[in-house]
Amino acid sequence: MITFKDVSKTYENGTHALYHVSLHIEKGEFVFVVGPSGAGKSTFIKMLLREETPTKGTVFVDGRNLNTMKRRQIPAFRRTIGVVFQDFRLIPTMTVYENVAFALQVTNVSSKYIRRRVPYILDLLGLAKKARCYPPEISGGEQQRVALARALVNNPSLIIADEPTGNIDPELSYEIVDLLNEINRCGTTIVMVTHAHELVSQFDHRVIAIERGRVKLDRGGTQ
Amino acid sequence: MGLGSVRYLVGEGAKNIQANRQMSVASIGVLVACMLLIGAAVLFSLNADAIMGYIESQNDVVVFVADRATDAQAEGLKTALEAIDNVASTRYISKEEALRGQMEKLGNSAYLMDTLMEDNPLPATYYVKVKDLERLTETVKEIQRLDLVLDVNSPTDVAATLVGIKKGVSLGGLGIVAILGAVSVLIVSNTIKLTVFSRRREISIMKYVGATDSFIRLPFLVEGVIIGLLSALLAFGLLWIAYYYLLDWMGNATSSWIQLAYPNLIQFEDIAWRMLGGFCGAGAAFGVAGSMFFVGKYLKV
Repeated sequence: MITFKDVSKTYENGTHALYHVSLHIEKGEFVFVVGPSGAGKSTFIKMLLREETPTKGTVFVDGRNLNTMKRRQIPAFRRTIGVVFQDFRLIPTMTVYENVAFALQVTNVSSKYIRRRVPYILDLLGLAKKARCYPPEISGGEQQRVALARALVNNPSLIIADEPTGNIDPELSYEIVDLLNEINRCGTTIVMVTHAHELVSQFDHRVIAIERGRVKLDRGGTQ
Repeated sequence: MGLGSVRYLVGEGAKNIQANRQMSVASIGVLVACMLLIGAAVLFSLNADAIMGYIESQNDVVVFVADRATDAQAEGLKTALEAIDNVASTRYISKEEALRGQMEKLGNSAYLMDTLMEDNPLPATYYVKVKDLERLTETVKEIQRLDLVLDVNSPTDVAATLVGIKKGVSLGGLGIVAILGAVSVLIVSNTIKLTVFSRRREISIMKYVGATDSFIRLPFLVEGVIIGLLSALLAFGLLWIAYYYLLDWMGNATSSWIQLAYPNLIQFEDIAWRMLGGFCGAGAAFGVAGSMFFVGKYLKV
């Protein structure tokens, strides 16, 4: 699903974010990416989303070489990936329903499909009753579930979660990761960046530790 | 992009105006203020031009016809005068008419002129209006060169002053409009920049879920154009009302200066369509430019 071949990244201001990172993530895997702040995790995510391209090396996602991808091909590529951020990134002027529907609206599917698909996903994440609320009116945990619903609604083969539990209560954090776990069981590849070691230890998944731009540790789950 | 998408995006644009009420109101306020200022400056400068044109037209060149000309020859001079490029119109006063005019002026003492009836000393006269006061001297010379012309009386000094004032008024008006226009462009583009800036997060979110650039732009475009057109209509209406009341007040004013100028003032209806067109064009252009230029800055995610 994801392949980094000897990837290095140096930003224009001279910051070295990644050094010779090589790794491979299989389709259907659940991977935790851990490491202190400034280690290069964000750069890693940006590479996966084709927000940044490597200075050296190649990144492949779902069989596509992101180095050679053209700008106009990026939107179509991103529709195959679901992203969840620490700060939820919901549009405050849209209702929960509209936020989720928006991700479908950009893909040019029929409005009939949208009207069927969005309630289904909201129901799946226990948000049916909040459909008409605006993001500021619901709790952090709920907002993150809305973000997750938005990530899921396109039926992506890969979900990238960037510290999805960073802004919510510990008990709700578990719930979010558990949801990701469920999604993973249905075959979706999950890459989750996190600081929360106790969460990592509660789930038996592969862990990639990045430190100072290098892969410090790559430990598979025991299954 | 399908028809359904376009309909959705246009709807989003309209909805965004409502959702970002504060920014929309601020943008409309700024646009309306700028358009009002520019509109007022345009009206002022057009009226100043019209009044100057009126004053200019009050200046006749007086051409005296030589006595040796027969009546037919004197009347024939009209063709020669009107053949001169800068001559707008001529009015002929024959010798008899001139004398009768003088007698009327004398009233009861008109009998004094009786003896002159036999040998009328007054020359036949042409009152000539010129098209362009600036070329007056040159035109007068051309008239003097004509056969049978006795003398030419022209308000050359007055003309020079008038031409100067008129130029100043036109240039001043143009300058005011230009300065206001430039300031408006700055203020309005700053407002658009702020509007887009306050929603850069929204734009980046759209990028992350795979929206194409045009998909993000279209609602902004619709929003910008609607705000622009709304401002144009508002400014147009306000200006019309204000101008209507101003004219109304001037029509009833007792000042002789105003009474003199009043008939020459421009009626709003005369320029209404051009002004509305200009406002709408500028408003829409700002909407389009704003969404093209400033949104583009945040699309590079």
